[in-house]
Amino acid sequence: MKRNIIICLICSLLLASNALAANPEGKIEVIARAGYSIGGTTPLGIPATIRSVDAFRPTASLMAGADVKLALKNNWGLMTGLHFENKGMDTEVTTKGYRMELVKGDSRIEGLFTGHVKQEVTEWMLTLPVLATYSLGEKVTLKAGPYISVLLDKDFSGIASDGYLRQGNPTGPRINMGDKEGEWATYDFSDEMRNVQMGIAVGADWNVTHHFGLAADLTWGLTGVFNSDFKTVEQTLYPIYFTLSAYWSF
Amino acid sequence: MRKNKEKTYICTHETNLFYYFIMRNYLAYLAIAFLSAFLLSSCIKDELPNTECDIVSAWVEGAQYADNFYHPSQMRHDNISSSEREIVFTVRSLFSLPQRLPINFTITDGASIEPASGSEQDFTSGPVTYVVTSEDGAWKRQYTVTFKEANLPTYKFSFENYETIESNKNQYHEFYEVDQSGTRHYIWASGNPGAILTKYGSKAEEQPTYSTPNGYAGRGVCLNTQDAGQLGRMFGKPIAAGNLFMGRFILENVLLDALKATEFGRPIDRVPIRVTGYYKYQPGAVFTDKDMHEIADRTDEASIYAVFYRNKDSEGNDVFLYGDDVLTSPYIVRKAEVAALPPTSEWTRFEMFFEGDEVDEEILAAQGYNTTLVFSSSKEGASFEGAIGSELYIDEVEVSFEEPEND
Repeated sequence: MKRNIIICLICSLLLASNALAANPEGKIEVIARAGYSIGGTTPLGIPATIRSVDAFRPTASLMAGADVKLALKNNWGLMTGLHFENKGMDTEVTTKGYRMELVKGDSRIEGLFTGHVKQEVTEWMLTLPVLATYSLGEKVTLKAGPYISVLLDKDFSGIASDGYLRQGNPTGPRINMGDKEGEWATYDFSDEMRNVQMGIAVGADWNVTHHFGLAADLTWGLTGVFNSDFKTVEQTLYPIYFTLSAYWSF
Repeated sequence: MRKNKEKTYICTHETNLFYYFIMRNYLAYLAIAFLSAFLLSSCIKDELPNTECDIVSAWVEGAQYADNFYHPSQMRHDNISSSEREIVFTVRSLFSLPQRLPINFTITDGASIEPASGSEQDFTSGPVTYVVTSEDGAWKRQYTVTFKEANLPTYKFSFENYETIESNKNQYHEFYEVDQSGTRHYIWASGNPGAILTKYGSKAEEQPTYSTPNGYAGRGVCLNTQDAGQLGRMFGKPIAAGNLFMGRFILENVLLDALKATEFGRPIDRVPIRVTGYYKYQPGAVFTDKDMHEIADRTDEASIYAVFYRNKDSEGNDVFLYGDDVLTSPYIVRKAEVAALPPTSEWTRFEMFFEGDEVDEEILAAQGYNTTLVFSSSKEGASFEGAIGSELYIDEVEVSFEEPEND
């Protein structure tokens, strides 16, 4: 994963620096953006222990920020900035034998859960993208490159209900869980989340008028959302989000 | 000169194309990668074969076997608990039991059982072991099926016999009694299987109920009220009182309805008159309610009681008492309670007498009554009220069936 990031970084820096070396035009553009993201903090491939995705609700995944775009030679350019954004998710799934661990203070229950899981993810962060840009005429600019995010507020918690846990393994004691507080189990892995995420972004800016424009961007986390020594959630979860935004170019 | 210029131009143009080409492929590659990631993650995989391997119910089928039982309901066990390892059929007499009997089972979907369900086995010479294998073949559970006569193996309980059970790296003690033939009878249950749920790597002596070498005579039982940890609090069950009772602890129910986890009662064919025994008691320092709020002017109390009740309703269905009605059920015929158990650090004798209604001899002969004996380190422990650290020791408990002469 780290190698991928490095390759991406080198790739885009190479592109940018080559363009810069070719003929620095030097035009600097400041762009203010605001938008809304939708996506998921998801494993690449749903494990077989998840039997259905029952609900997926958008959360307040807002984005606001400013970019600086440096125009280089031959339609090439470089864009960087700072975005304040949330990558949130609120989803419900039905599981069968899904490995999970409930930890609170000094006590814990670990086992295989069959039933309903309601999962909430909040990741408020400051993101710094470093993007190579290529303008297709006056209207459209394509963007691609790596980003790095520093998390300011994080939450990964949920509820396991309407089912049962087999403690330890499938032959362990069965503990039934109900559909209300006190009968269901809650979990919170917020503290196990990474403080820094990295990934790649790709997108396009579309100048509607001279100053105003619309943008679509995909960001794909290359680092899992949890610290690598955290093993309770078996699958590595990557933040993969799609952002629609409006911008004003000064 | 001119040629050179032209060449430069072409070169630049080529470079431009080169960049454009890379960039386009880069973007295309990314787009494909994103797309495939989304497609992959939106795919629900085929269901895997079941991994569980439980016996859910077990029954003796055939009217020809009905005479061996006091009641048809004793011919079957439904909703067998996931922590059960022994399935016991209660019969009138082991002597009149047929040499070979078929037991039918329902097991987890897709699992297999050996010997087969419905196959005739010999239960007259002791327990028969069945092995259930999960559908995926990776997991096995072993059960024993035993036929036993109804009576309690003894009425004098010295608590010398216990087994150490291991579950999820925790250990706990389970008490049993032995009859004249040496067969073990697991008539005692405790909340230990519930208390260890949130523990890891704990020893038997760290549980709410355990066997202690420091009994009144030989070994005894220590019951102590414990902090159930933060997970216990999350489930609204902040404390775990030490308890020991005649009956079953049904672990499945512990989160949904903790009072239904304690099922009280074993059949009895005699009318108990009084219960005696020895105890020591020290209440814990701080009495708390079910939300762990301190109740300043309350001191924890231990409880020792016994109940004698009808085990069939008017339609002949089995009746058991649970945590929510063990002292209030309309099926109770007689009960005995120790009025007060003052704190003491010396072994102190207690005595209690059954009081209540007359006993019907016909029902008694037809195994229509159950009895239970209950000990707890916190009287209100079932509703999670008590003091952490309360400690009750018991030993040498005896049920008598005669009026005492002159004590």
